[in-house]
Amino acid sequence: MKLVFSFLLIACFYFGQSQDTVKVGANLSTDQLAEEDYNMGLLALKDKNYQQAAELFSKSLSAKPGFDKAHANRSVAYTHLGKYNEALWDVNLAIIANPQNPENYFNKSLIYMGMQLPDSQSIALDACLNLNHDHAEAAYYKGLLSYKSGDYEKSISYYSMAISSNRNYVFAYNDRGSAKRALGDLPGAIEDYTRATLIDSSYAFIYNNLGTAARLNKSFPKAIAAFTKALALDHTYLLALNNRGVANFDHTDFKSAQSDFELALTLDSKNSFAYNNLCSIALKTKDFKKAKDLASRSIELDPNNGPAYYNRGIAKQMLREEESCCADWKKALELGVKGAKTFINASCKEH
Amino acid sequence: MKKIKAIVLLFCLTGLGFSQSIEFVKTNFPGKKDELKEAIHKLAIGTDFYAQGRSQYNDFRKAYFIEHKYFPVGHHDTRKAGYAEFRAALSPLSDAHRFNPNNAVLNYMLGFIWFSADPGSKETLRFFETAYTLNPDLNHDIAYWLAWTNQLNTQWDNALKYYNIYLTSLLPKAKMNVAFIDDVRKKIYECENGKNLSAEPERVFVENLGPNINTSYPEYGPSISTDEATIFFTSRRPNSIGGKKDETDNGYFEDVYFSEKVNGKWLPSKPLSKNVNTESHDATAGLSPDGSKLYVYRSLGNDGGDLYETVLFGMDWEEPDHMNKNINTKYHESTVSLSFDGKRLYFVSDKESGYGDADIYYSDMDINGEWGPAKNLGPEINTKYGEEGVFIHPDGTTLYFSSKGYNSMGGYDVFKSSLLDGKWQNPVNLGYPINGPDDDVFFVVSGSGNRAYFASAKSGGFGEKDLYKITFLGPEKQPLLNSQDQLLAVIDNPINNLKIENAVEVKSSKLTLLKGIVSDEKTEKPLEASVELIDNEKNVLLATFKSNSVSGKYLVTLPSGHNYGIAVKCRGYLFHSENINLPEATDYQEFTLDVEMKKMEVGNSIVLKNIFFDFDKASIRPESQNELNRLVKLLRENPAIKVEIGSHTDDIGSVEYNLQLSENRSKSVVEYLISKGIPTSRLVAKGYGETIALDKNDTEEGRQHNRRTEFKILSK
Repeated sequence: MKLVFSFLLIACFYFGQSQDTVKVGANLSTDQLAEEDYNMGLLALKDKNYQQAAELFSKSLSAKPGFDKAHANRSVAYTHLGKYNEALWDVNLAIIANPQNPENYFNKSLIYMGMQLPDSQSIALDACLNLNHDHAEAAYYKGLLSYKSGDYEKSISYYSMAISSNRNYVFAYNDRGSAKRALGDLPGAIEDYTRATLIDSSYAFIYNNLGTAARLNKSFPKAIAAFTKALALDHTYLLALNNRGVANFDHTDFKSAQSDFELALTLDSKNSFAYNNLCSIALKTKDFKKAKDLASRSIELDPNNGPAYYNRGIAKQMLREEESCCADWKKALELGVKGAKTFINASCKEH
Repeated sequence: MKKIKAIVLLFCLTGLGFSQSIEFVKTNFPGKKDELKEAIHKLAIGTDFYAQGRSQYNDFRKAYFIEHKYFPVGHHDTRKAGYAEFRAALSPLSDAHRFNPNNAVLNYMLGFIWFSADPGSKETLRFFETAYTLNPDLNHDIAYWLAWTNQLNTQWDNALKYYNIYLTSLLPKAKMNVAFIDDVRKKIYECENGKNLSAEPERVFVENLGPNINTSYPEYGPSISTDEATIFFTSRRPNSIGGKKDETDNGYFEDVYFSEKVNGKWLPSKPLSKNVNTESHDATAGLSPDGSKLYVYRSLGNDGGDLYETVLFGMDWEEPDHMNKNINTKYHESTVSLSFDGKRLYFVSDKESGYGDADIYYSDMDINGEWGPAKNLGPEINTKYGEEGVFIHPDGTTLYFSSKGYNSMGGYDVFKSSLLDGKWQNPVNLGYPINGPDDDVFFVVSGSGNRAYFASAKSGGFGEKDLYKITFLGPEKQPLLNSQDQLLAVIDNPINNLKIENAVEVKSSKLTLLKGIVSDEKTEKPLEASVELIDNEKNVLLATFKSNSVSGKYLVTLPSGHNYGIAVKCRGYLFHSENINLPEATDYQEFTLDVEMKKMEVGNSIVLKNIFFDFDKASIRPESQNELNRLVKLLRENPAIKVEIGSHTDDIGSVEYNLQLSENRSKSVVEYLISKGIPTSRLVAKGYGETIALDKNDTEEGRQHNRRTEFKILSK
């Protein structure tokens, strides 16, 4: 029995979102059996056997109705299984049973996230933060919600709140950097991304973000170094490879840019972006026929690639295919490339 | 002249000076006694002609300097002085050159002969370069001509090098050489401009207008309608009226031709009728923005060259009228350009009152429709050098012209200046390759401002000068690259496709091109109607245009920033009114509005689109005055008709309220008409409220259609 007890302790320790350790007595009453099933459920949850975990928690609850911890953890299992309604039901029961536990509200917010109900998610996070002002994750997700709604300033204040609760919160630094970037504060973004890489240098995507912010800030050597670091962590990281090509392009090193885009195509021969970026090089080197062909290939692979239509329009204009170039710019505009409107106004008869 | 010949022969035959030049002496051609003799003979004949030509050329330059206080700026300014003699010299000197291609003086002479005929040619450059290589000290001015030839070939660095050598040679006697120093300094400045401007060429497409316009004979002086549908130009073709040649230059007399663009292609050009083209020179001088008035240049007797105006009547142009004395003088009047409203005329004249050489003047139309006294555009535009080829854009604020002053690259360059707060801004060179070191003149711009037309003798054409179209591309369009970022840490599928945009200004014209056909509503027959353009805010009649009597077509340009009333009037018909509000920010657009005119018959009605009321009130706004007065005039001219003024509303508000509002509005209009002396017995005011809708009431556009005041003939 001691062994069972120790095992359960370990299981609970590993599963952060589950409830506290359950006490097990010497004589196995119904409650005790329920608790044993509950602990077995925790193990299953740890092993990502979500279906089995849910069944064990159900068994536990049959034996001990109102067992708030079993409700809470079955809710977690259901969330992983995508059974959001069931998860929500369970977490509500857990909250009714223990309204002062901020974690239940936090879990509930994640269920709403899965259900794509941001307003409800926000309310649940607020409830969690009311109970625990220093709940770093809740603050982080509030930041995420604000970011997604386009309220970058608010998101920055939530990310900062998360960071003040957890000084090593890598993701919060990363996301705050992205929010700063969205507000045009490129030096601030670079500072946050850099801080994130200093805390944990194992995330390629953060180096990629750092590289883009540096590129936008016209610090091209710094950008290229960051993308190269991302590629050192993951040499198949297409995003970083493509972005390094863009940085080389912006740095007017078309040869290196071409090499990066071509390498991206060897990793993924159907990479629409790489074709469009090669098209941009052809435009710069005034090989308009080649540019047109490359943009066409890019569009073939991704008919919604607005910049490719935009670029093909430029190539066609230089090839004197005037009507056709206007059609491309109109399509680019339709796909959200606002800059195409200027060209249409200037060069297309009926706009 | 004898002096020139003697010096030349002395140099050719005796080899004075230190050089690599091979002289025409026996020791240089052993065993070729007879050939040498023949070559010397040819040299003597050619030198004789050359010396005569050069003497005439030098005399012309001197006379030019006395008249203008500076030496000829462009090579065309010398008007081919000595041309006949140089032609006569060419053959014998070329024969001598075949025998001895390495004589510096002979190469210099041939270089000059070619310079007089075709200064930018490879031959000119080759002969001058050879002469200079063989003996750089041959003649103190050889560096000058070699520099100018290099300038015309856009070899800016070489041109600067030789001009500076020439300048250095003048400086020791600077006081004596002031005029030459000024001349070479201007040329050095032109080369520096050329070097700077061609380092960053303008992005344009330049294309020949093709065989339906251009021939192996000269075509120049294009005039284009605002919508670029019709082009007029001058050509010197064998099928000119009379088919005769001008003895002064052996070219056919000028005639005016035109072509129309159908489905984007120019139809074969045709000459205008004998109303316009005569057996003498008839050249295009300008076209009104609506294409209904053409200006022609003619030179008869001692008039110095004058301007004439012809009006399109139906399908043909009327006999041109000599423009009045405020425009034409005994001096040379050439190009002309009319403002969009037809009330101001810009033209070029070299009369004495200017700032030097030909200047740009303007004249405003007086209340009698006559052109008033001409005024000089002032030193903001005119320089001591010549100005030519004036063109005022239909936007009314951009003036294009050619000048030999400012930062020209040589000869005439095309400049533009904008009118800001009533003042012309510093002219801006349109840059390379629109401008080059030779004359660039007669430049007209489309209504959209995106294209221009000009004449050039550039290589690759059909021969002589051809007409070309320029398409302005604006700044280089920066490509858009695709980049991707994983901006957020916890998103399952966090790939974001960020698109980056860079912005280009072509400046587009802020004007609207309104065109269409006026026709009878029932028979669909085109009508010649007058199209009145009113500024509603100022209650001013801006201009009156006429639709073509055969096609019914009309074309009006409307600069942005005004609320326009358009009234189309035709005898026997009810007038038709339109309201076009163009805020300041409205970009260039083309708008087709076909107008179907209704006969003055019982039951016919028109919508009075330029009657405006205060919001939710029956008080008439001041900008309605022109439309109301039109109505008064119509009622006075047709004293027998009885009319109903009917007002309509949209469906916002209650039925009863709208009925009352519309009735009150009708009454307001009727009261105005009564106040102007129209008997009450002829007027009925009626409010329809929202009962007769022309459009749906669920959009603002639809509601706007429904809010209206109508005028209906009840009896006549």
